[in-house]
Amino acid sequence: MAPERALVVRGSGPGGARLAVFLLLAAAGLWAALVLDLDPRRLWPGREGWQLGAEFFGRALRPALAREGADLPPDLPPLWWQATRAAWRTVSFAAAAMLPALAGGLLLGFGGATAWWAGGRRSWLGPAVTAACRLASVGLRSVHELLWAVLLLAVFGVTPLAAVVALALPYAGTLGKIFAELIDEAPRGPAGALRDAGALPVQVFLFGLLPRALPDMTAYSLYRFECALRSAAVLGFFGFPTLGYYISASFENLYYGEVWFYLYVLLALVAGVDWWSGAIRRRLGR
Amino acid sequence: MTAREATIRRLRAERPRSRFLRASGWAVVGLVAVSWALGGFLAEPAWSAGRAANLRRLLHEVVPYPLQGADWSWSVAATWLGGIWRDYLGEATFSTLATSVAAILLAGSLGAFLVPWAARGFACPEPFLTDPVAPRWPVRLAWGAVVVVARALLTLLRSIPEYVWAFLLIALYGPTAWPLVLALALHNAGILGKLTADLVEHLEQPTLAALRGLGARRRQIVFAGIFPLSVNRFLLYLFYRWETCVREATVLGMLGLASLGFWIQDARARNHYDEMVLVMAAGGLLVTAGDLVSALARELVRRT
Repeated sequence: MAPERALVVRGSGPGGARLAVFLLLAAAGLWAALVLDLDPRRLWPGREGWQLGAEFFGRALRPALAREGADLPPDLPPLWWQATRAAWRTVSFAAAAMLPALAGGLLLGFGGATAWWAGGRRSWLGPAVTAACRLASVGLRSVHELLWAVLLLAVFGVTPLAAVVALALPYAGTLGKIFAELIDEAPRGPAGALRDAGALPVQVFLFGLLPRALPDMTAYSLYRFECALRSAAVLGFFGFPTLGYYISASFENLYYGEVWFYLYVLLALVAGVDWWSGAIRRRLGR
Repeated sequence: MTAREATIRRLRAERPRSRFLRASGWAVVGLVAVSWALGGFLAEPAWSAGRAANLRRLLHEVVPYPLQGADWSWSVAATWLGGIWRDYLGEATFSTLATSVAAILLAGSLGAFLVPWAARGFACPEPFLTDPVAPRWPVRLAWGAVVVVARALLTLLRSIPEYVWAFLLIALYGPTAWPLVLALALHNAGILGKLTADLVEHLEQPTLAALRGLGARRRQIVFAGIFPLSVNRFLLYLFYRWETCVREATVLGMLGLASLGFWIQDARARNHYDEMVLVMAAGGLLVTAGDLVSALARELVRRT
């Protein structure tokens, strides 16, 4: 055992600050457990919870392939058709929302970057635009898409447009924030050369900055599409006809087999997009 | 055609191209176009008299109740805010923060525990050795199965959204803080586990292969090789995911458990839109503060 311990000590390296981070994390965890009254013994659900858990998770390997329940109205569409339609709505909400989100994200990302003005003529305009765009990104992003949905429901009602706008607003903020960081991290040589040759900020952005940052931005946008898919599914809990709507409805009717069928459809969607974006990232060298 | 034009053409013809990337690009364009064409997002005009009236009503009701129809007064607004803060807002803000902290620590532990089973270079007969003595096929098959199962588990954990996990777990646990903490922890364990497993697969192989070559056991490789080489990146991921945990923790309460989301839903049910927007703003401030703390912490980790 002795050599092993020696290895560990030498391996952990110059870790004073790291040790501090770990101690802080432990202290934060302790604080959180006290505030929330987290009792490890309660991690084991009670007898009723256990019964329900066994019943529910027992159906994981036996998802329903047709509707459950007796005395169904005869004109109800079959389960697979309902799931396909819900899956399509989930995908189409996410895909439709990505268009305005990307447009907004590109604007905020370009404006929020410093690369298009840093090093050029001194002017108050560049820093002011950057600050305004970053503030807008933070503001849009800090409100969760479900909360945007609640606000938009009050104005638009349960319409597909409300769902798309609710997704697009915070996603534009997030994309704007990350795009700005990626643009600023990209090599600035070409941009500087273009600016010195008298190019406009728009030209500097399009031909000097964007091409170098584009692979990373594409990879990140694909990841956000995957997130949008999950968010669109969750919007169903607020009455929009995506997968979440049917998950909650079936669960409340105690049709656990149906719940698992919908969960597996969601799983297949997310895992499929995950695989696809992974394949694209590998080919982009990211 | 000048020589320069010819060179430009040659370079253009030689640029790297991938049929898969091109097809993917068109697939994305097609998907977005079909979604907008068939989604019915603009089936009715986006703006109408009814919606304008809804917006006017909302904007009226968002004003703090004691100030509706009265002149603006800072002292009245402050009294209103202080009352709500003491009533529930302060406690809910702290319990939301605590939920996110407990969740990310649990997620980090669970994710880190799954990493050795999911990292292909490590979960194999001879970790990190590029040219090992060929092991027998049952051994290789068994390790292959371990990786497939661990990766599938991570995919399952992260594919189910936090909100859905919470919805399912609340039924199991009843009204304690565990379902919210666990929901966030399970989803993020899937993400952290996957990111860290990918990270371990791309660590400097020679260092780790040398450890194995010297006869280090698996546990020794984990603590003396993998941990010091990957802990900084792992902490960066942890703080990044903590930001999203704060964001999600604010809404998970909408399922009916004490956090900011609970009071948002409560105020909405009582039609008190002024309180609802106030709680949302408190959540927004908490998320922004979390982003700042996380950025500072990541900077600290980068320096070590």
